Amino acid sequence: MTGKPFGIGLDVGSTTTKGVMVDSKGSIIATHLQGTGASAASAVAHVLESLFSTSGKTRDDCRIIGTGYGRNIVDIAYKTVTEITCHSVGVNTLNPDIRLLIDVGGQDSKVIKIGSNGRPEDFELNDKCSAGTGRFLEVMARVLEVSMDDLGPLALKSKSPCTISSTCTVFAESEVIGRIGSGDSPADIAAGVHLSMASKIGSLSKRVGVATPIGVTGGVALNPAFRYYLSDILKADLWVPEIPQLTGALGAAIIAMKDNLVS
Amino acid sequence: MNDEKPYRKLETQALLQQIAFRHGMEAMAASEEGTLAWVSSGFPVEIPVAMNVFPTYPEQAGAIIGATKIGPEVCGFAEDLGYSQELCSYARASIGSTDRPDDVAMGALPKPQALLGCNNICGTILKWYDANSEQTGAPVFLLDTPPLEAEQKPHHRAYVKQGLERLIEFLAKTFNTTLEEDRFREVSDLSSRAIKLWTQSLKACQNKPSPLNCADRFLTMAPVVSSRGVEHCTEFYEVLLAEVEDRVKQGIGAIREEKIRLLWDNIPPWFILRFFNQLAAQGVVFPADTYTHAWSGAVEGTDTDSLLDGIADIYSNVYLNKNLDAKVDKMCQLIKDFDLDGFVMFSVRSCKRYSLGQLVSKEIVTERTGVPGVVIEGDMVDSRLFNEAQIQTRVDALLEMFV
Repeated sequence: MTGKPFGIGLDVGSTTTKGVMVDSKGSIIATHLQGTGASAASAVAHVLESLFSTSGKTRDDCRIIGTGYGRNIVDIAYKTVTEITCHSVGVNTLNPDIRLLIDVGGQDSKVIKIGSNGRPEDFELNDKCSAGTGRFLEVMARVLEVSMDDLGPLALKSKSPCTISSTCTVFAESEVIGRIGSGDSPADIAAGVHLSMASKIGSLSKRVGVATPIGVTGGVALNPAFRYYLSDILKADLWVPEIPQLTGALGAAIIAMKDNLVS
Repeated sequence: MNDEKPYRKLETQALLQQIAFRHGMEAMAASEEGTLAWVSSGFPVEIPVAMNVFPTYPEQAGAIIGATKIGPEVCGFAEDLGYSQELCSYARASIGSTDRPDDVAMGALPKPQALLGCNNICGTILKWYDANSEQTGAPVFLLDTPPLEAEQKPHHRAYVKQGLERLIEFLAKTFNTTLEEDRFREVSDLSSRAIKLWTQSLKACQNKPSPLNCADRFLTMAPVVSSRGVEHCTEFYEVLLAEVEDRVKQGIGAIREEKIRLLWDNIPPWFILRFFNQLAAQGVVFPADTYTHAWSGAVEGTDTDSLLDGIADIYSNVYLNKNLDAKVDKMCQLIKDFDLDGFVMFSVRSCKRYSLGQLVSKEIVTERTGVPGVVIEGDMVDSRLFNEAQIQTRVDALLEMFV
């Protein structure tokens, strides 16, 4: 395959689809993020359209890699790479010092130990349960009747977080409703929800082995209460990139450009 | 067409089908004659075989039910009776297929006259066979082999040996038969030869390329599980070993292009053995696994007494009856001996005995061998517990570590 001047990474996640275009030096040229919705194929088409119109480039200028759970539906990709490798490479591009990456997405969470070459050395993913993922927070925000953006700031107002003992999203929802019924404040309940989630991710991290510095990516990295409690549990500062949802797509784009050099 | 596939089918598979068919027919005949026993996979069958009792295996029936993709349906028959979805899917498949044999195309076993269980593979077997006993009216014999912490102590062996003596009495009474020393020696010798031949085939996978892949071994292990001590079983392993040695001599691998060699831990997902063939297309072969290496001890002895000693030793020392350290040691040894690049641990929802401790084992094995591993979750029979997309991501990510 002849070299192409630009690389695109398409990260088709369960909740959002992300696209990043980079040039041959690995600098970001264009990005796009949108909901995946019911049709991952049309989300991919929209993301590509946006990347091309922002950059003024065409498909022929780019090598494309698909990643994320929907990676196999990106039929114009010349190959697929798992989000585990892509997030690792993406984070390594932005901050080569990071040794442990915690990515909390819409429906899964992963902890990756990044080697000095920027690639994963070990990793763990959450099990089949959605507790410990963005979905958990979405469900809880709905029960507490606050927006996702307001959920974290609300939790940070608490001085005495409730205990949310359930590790299952469905049972935790019933537990939260019980808390509302017994008159606990929304802030304390929200704090309990974040604490429960952070402790689940914390134990997943400890399974891999906590190594610093630690990076956090995925949509949930935007939530300040989650970062606060996770940082407290891991006893470490957390580095978060500017747009933490894009690191998987960035990694895929970078791999596409590295392949370019090889070919 | 075969040439285009990423894996090579064994010629010996045709013989395997004949043996499986023969085993099924013989089990039916034995049931009619009143000499059929259902036995657990780690049961010392040399004794019933020498006493002319025909053994057949609910676990193998479970594997067939899984492989024919009717696991959820047949497990559902047991769930309809009130058994929990958390119960082992081999047990559910067994209880379900015994309850509704006419609704099970393949895998329902003919009616037994006795149920012979040994808890060296798990504790579930006790209650599972009690349930089968209620269903069939056949009495249960339990051989108790307490788990081993380290080396087997003399009192442990003496205890298990007493259990074997009770087994002989039980079989004599239930089936009106006796244990003749010559026959016992002959059966034990055939069993040992089959196990030794099988072990040689397993060991041949140390070669590069490996002559056998996981799925090959999972299928060809059937006779050594079901028919050790029977003449045609030993013959089968002679034929298999000849084919394996021929592959090694000619440098022919189980898969066409071997790039990555991995260890498999645990029972396979019987309903999706193509999982291994799909990986073969990516150059991944599994030259070793902890499951088929579980039957490696051979029964040695010169008379009834020493044979019973040998059996008490071997059947207490099966993989699943040992502690976590022994399992970790075994995995590390296999990774070293077979020169493996990494490992896949299948956390089987059904099999707590096999799956317990995998997370910590993974960590220790990586620490000791320096090779990465991954834990994937699912089940051996109940495909409702197997999420292919999640598993694919984990395995692909492991493979990307080798790039």
